[in-house]
Amino acid sequence: MEFLSFSNPAGLVALPILGCFILFFIPGHRANLVRWISTTIAFLVLIISFYFFLSFDHSEGGRQFIYEYEWLSLIGPWEESQRAISMSVGIDGIAATMVLLTGIVMFTGTVVSWNINVNNKDFFILYFLLLSGVFGVFITYDLFFFFFFYELSVLPMYLLIGKWGSSSKFSSFERTKEYSAMKLTLVLVAGSVLIWIAIIAMFVQSGTGSFHIDEIQKVIPDKFSSEFQSAFFLMLMIGFGILAGLWPFHTWSPDGHVAAPTAVSMVHAGVLMKLGAFGIIRVGMTLLPEGAQVWMPLLIGLGAVNVIYGALSAMGQTDLKYVIGYSSVSHMGYVLMGLGTLSLVGLNGAVLQMFSHGVMTALFFAVAGMIYERTHTRDSLVLSGLAQKMGIIAVLFTLAGLTSLGLPGLSGFAAELLIFIGIFQSYEIWGIILGSLAVIGAAITAVYILRLLSKVFFGLADDTLPEYLDSTPREKFAASILVIFIVLVGLWPFPFVKIIESGVEPILLQIVGAG
Amino acid sequence: MILSAEFAWIIPGLAVIAFCITSLFGKNLPYKGIFLPIAAALLGFIFFCLIFVDFISTGFNPTSVSIDWIVIDNWSITWGFAIDEISILMLGLVTFISLLVQIYSVGYMSGDSRISWYFAVHALFAGAMLALVLADNLLFLYFCWELVGLGSYLLIGFWFEKKAASEAAKKAFITTRLGDVGLLIGIILLFKATGTFHIPSIIHAAQNGAIPESTLMWSSLLLFLGAMGKSAQFPFHVWLPDAMEGPTPVSALIHAATMVVAGVYLIARMLPFLEIVPGFLTLVATVGLFTFLFAGIIALVMTDIKKVLAYSTISHLGLMVLTLGAGGLAAAMFHLVVHGFSKALLFLGAGSVMHGMNGETDCWKMGGLRRNMSVTGVTFLVGCLSLAGIVPLSGFFSKDEMLLSIHEGLGPIFLFITLAGVFLSSLYMIRLFCVIFIGEPRSEGAKNSHESPRVMTYPLVILAVFGTVLGVLALPLPLGDFEGLGNFIDSKHHFHLSPWITPLSLLIALSGLVIGYMCYGYHKISHHLVALRFGYLYKLTVSKFYIDEIYQWIIDKIVLSAARFISIFDRVVVNDTGVDGIGVSVLLSAFKVRLIQTGKLYNYAAAMGIGIFFMAVMWILASN
Repeated sequence: MEFLSFSNPAGLVALPILGCFILFFIPGHRANLVRWISTTIAFLVLIISFYFFLSFDHSEGGRQFIYEYEWLSLIGPWEESQRAISMSVGIDGIAATMVLLTGIVMFTGTVVSWNINVNNKDFFILYFLLLSGVFGVFITYDLFFFFFFYELSVLPMYLLIGKWGSSSKFSSFERTKEYSAMKLTLVLVAGSVLIWIAIIAMFVQSGTGSFHIDEIQKVIPDKFSSEFQSAFFLMLMIGFGILAGLWPFHTWSPDGHVAAPTAVSMVHAGVLMKLGAFGIIRVGMTLLPEGAQVWMPLLIGLGAVNVIYGALSAMGQTDLKYVIGYSSVSHMGYVLMGLGTLSLVGLNGAVLQMFSHGVMTALFFAVAGMIYERTHTRDSLVLSGLAQKMGIIAVLFTLAGLTSLGLPGLSGFAAELLIFIGIFQSYEIWGIILGSLAVIGAAITAVYILRLLSKVFFGLADDTLPEYLDSTPREKFAASILVIFIVLVGLWPFPFVKIIESGVEPILLQIVGAG
Repeated sequence: MILSAEFAWIIPGLAVIAFCITSLFGKNLPYKGIFLPIAAALLGFIFFCLIFVDFISTGFNPTSVSIDWIVIDNWSITWGFAIDEISILMLGLVTFISLLVQIYSVGYMSGDSRISWYFAVHALFAGAMLALVLADNLLFLYFCWELVGLGSYLLIGFWFEKKAASEAAKKAFITTRLGDVGLLIGIILLFKATGTFHIPSIIHAAQNGAIPESTLMWSSLLLFLGAMGKSAQFPFHVWLPDAMEGPTPVSALIHAATMVVAGVYLIARMLPFLEIVPGFLTLVATVGLFTFLFAGIIALVMTDIKKVLAYSTISHLGLMVLTLGAGGLAAAMFHLVVHGFSKALLFLGAGSVMHGMNGETDCWKMGGLRRNMSVTGVTFLVGCLSLAGIVPLSGFFSKDEMLLSIHEGLGPIFLFITLAGVFLSSLYMIRLFCVIFIGEPRSEGAKNSHESPRVMTYPLVILAVFGTVLGVLALPLPLGDFEGLGNFIDSKHHFHLSPWITPLSLLIALSGLVIGYMCYGYHKISHHLVALRFGYLYKLTVSKFYIDEIYQWIIDKIVLSAARFISIFDRVVVNDTGVDGIGVSVLLSAFKVRLIQTGKLYNYAAAMGIGIFFMAVMWILASN
């Protein structure tokens, strides 16, 4: 029964699906039972994702925990091919880090979602479906399944936001949750179309009759001309970039974050946006190395726009969740810039930033959710002096904010530092200019984060507001898991960097070899 | 071999541990856990003494230890600790001042509901500064540099219910952060050129010409920018006077030992690097000199006791930077220590005054406090005279050494302008003392003021004693091969007096004292008339030359406007036009295209006819 083996990464996909099935048979009115079952499943997934991270052997590197199940062998001109489409899973250094991140965010999101009272059974079913898709993307090495899981992780979002989300209304404009959900789904599907075209093109062009990344990779020098590579890399870069919040295709993300319920915002900003960056590495850089070299300057440039533009936009917002949403756009810019350096340091920093930002933004959204739940507003012009009434929530938000502005000792600094170094070393003069812009972006972040802290948490509390409860033990538990990882990566990034390095190194060697 | 210098990292380590325990569990510990940070500070000071003895007995051998923090491919980022003369001097200053300030705080902060948080952050603040002075590479230095900034943010904003406090904390963090951007870019530029963060290696590479000239110039400039931000040099000085919104012992710590001297320390540490670019040190000196005079003038007209002291700090930091610009490493570091002691004394004294006056800070509401607060008054006078540079207090010696260095390094023009600043320095110091302690009480509060408890006055006395005798260290004492503190810091430096600079500077300082006393103590000269005589100048100075207003204008009109513009642009152009526009145009074209499906037979027949015609034409063209 190798399928049931603990070290089979497919379990990460199967377990949430199993959770969906179990929940399906629970009567909807037994809300507490639903909560406990969901939490148990999420906890098991967390344990397994820990297991993969801890037992990943970085000195050996490469891909580990490999399992393969044949799904379809095509007939026709490719008859001899044995692995046309196969559920082929494995974990490399990048996937190990991302799987850990997903496990953490999934579990904390589940714990935070205990307060959902309306149809929580349906909520958790969709939530788990979404996450099994996310895990699938990280562990699969087959382009067909990659795309399958990619879509699986986008579509449940539509229902989750449309049903459990919240609309925002300001004096100047209004965003209904239905609008945000629709925009998010349509924009992301547009990106998926580009990705699917590129995948089919690579499949056909390779002539191997296999969707397996390894099979296609073998024939890159023979079959993929430079023109082919650069044309389809651009397509992939934009397609995946849309999910990673690439400017100017980012507007779905702040609106989506704001409209989504807390746990979905956490997963969305924390994990889902990383799928885009991950896709660029796993599909784009691995299969189209020459194309990567052609388009990387553009990616660094757009990443710099993301950083500065996102930070300035965040400064112009008054809604708590919009600030965080735009800050995600800004921080994903660092990831894109790191990818664009095509250097070991920069890529390492990019993946570490994916992890760091995932944990940090999950904490951000969790805390924003706690505040909204208590005060029923997210308007920073209305809120003031919250630190007096909810001290721990204020501390948590401050911690997330300090991570966001790149304070040493917290995870953001370690990741951003590597990215900065990578950018500076990538080009002679442009490296210095873009690198300086990236550093300046961190300073702008400091401005909007501290302004927000000062407005919302400090100052005198409004006495007309009712007494609020500080965070409950359940909320503290969820937040402390996130805080532990923020501090751990900040103080001792060594093991993370080692594991990530073993994952990015082969990809990078291939790109350098191609050039 | 008592405690080898290799274990110096234990000192900041203890502080960090104290921070962790007290901040997490402080509320549940007896006495709210405040004894832990104090114990850490005390142990830190004892360790310092042991290391100091060992350091001297092993003959000034700089030592270092390091561990890897990040290793990628074949290079690594390390956390390294190194001890040499400069860092051991700083170590002593920081451990001693922070210990005294913590003891003082037991009295000053008693009864505050968040006292354990206060002490915890205090430990973090001191620990970060201690690690900073021990760091042997620029990146680790930056790491601690930012943590020092965090400490100041948390402590200045400690009473966050006060809007002013949270605004001041924000201002301090963001202003210094602007300099930090420069510092980080400069550090990475140097890394790009040399492949290392290790300070001695970078200096070595620069001296051997291994760094391109443009990189050298830019990184010097950027490093100096970082130092200017942290050390509150013009035009980054605005955050320091506001930082007094924190509890007063925090101000003592910030002004004396931890935050602001970090910038001076950085310049001192990188001095062999900065002096490579020709003329760069003159720029450093000019910035320092301008700040020295500029802040001195403002200090003369401030009425808030803590603001006078704050501008005095900015001014003296300028003096240190000026001296470093003249190449006077030993003199500047000596003054750093002396100023640290005196300023800690003055701030703790100010805290004691405020304690006795129920939190009043306007010195025109005080007066005659020497009767009720004799210990505070006498110790305050010692601090004032020391900073004014009166013999035989320590400030006299350090000022003298600095003036000599300035004369040697930059020539007589800089020296004479500096002497004008010396005059200002003694004038505002005696003004402050006279207004607070001399004359008749000018308010009910001043009449009913009371002396502070012993836990607060004892640190004052200790600091006053040290402030008095520390100057002797400048002299070559008959202690083995000790040739004065200056020589200890920089072996090229030797103590000497100048036959004309020393008396001249003393004369100038004394004349400042006399004029100040005539004006504010003896009331022979009316300062009101002087203020009226130079009305515009007075108004300009009282408004601090409108620097804060200019910054506020830049932030409101430029930065926030840009942010607002971008966010509206994002909404209207990128989203509503770009994204929704595409959606709407698809929708509209669908409506248009739908109209083709009319359901009328002759329309379809016409379309078919046209189609067949064109196909026929194409077929004919192709077949030819």
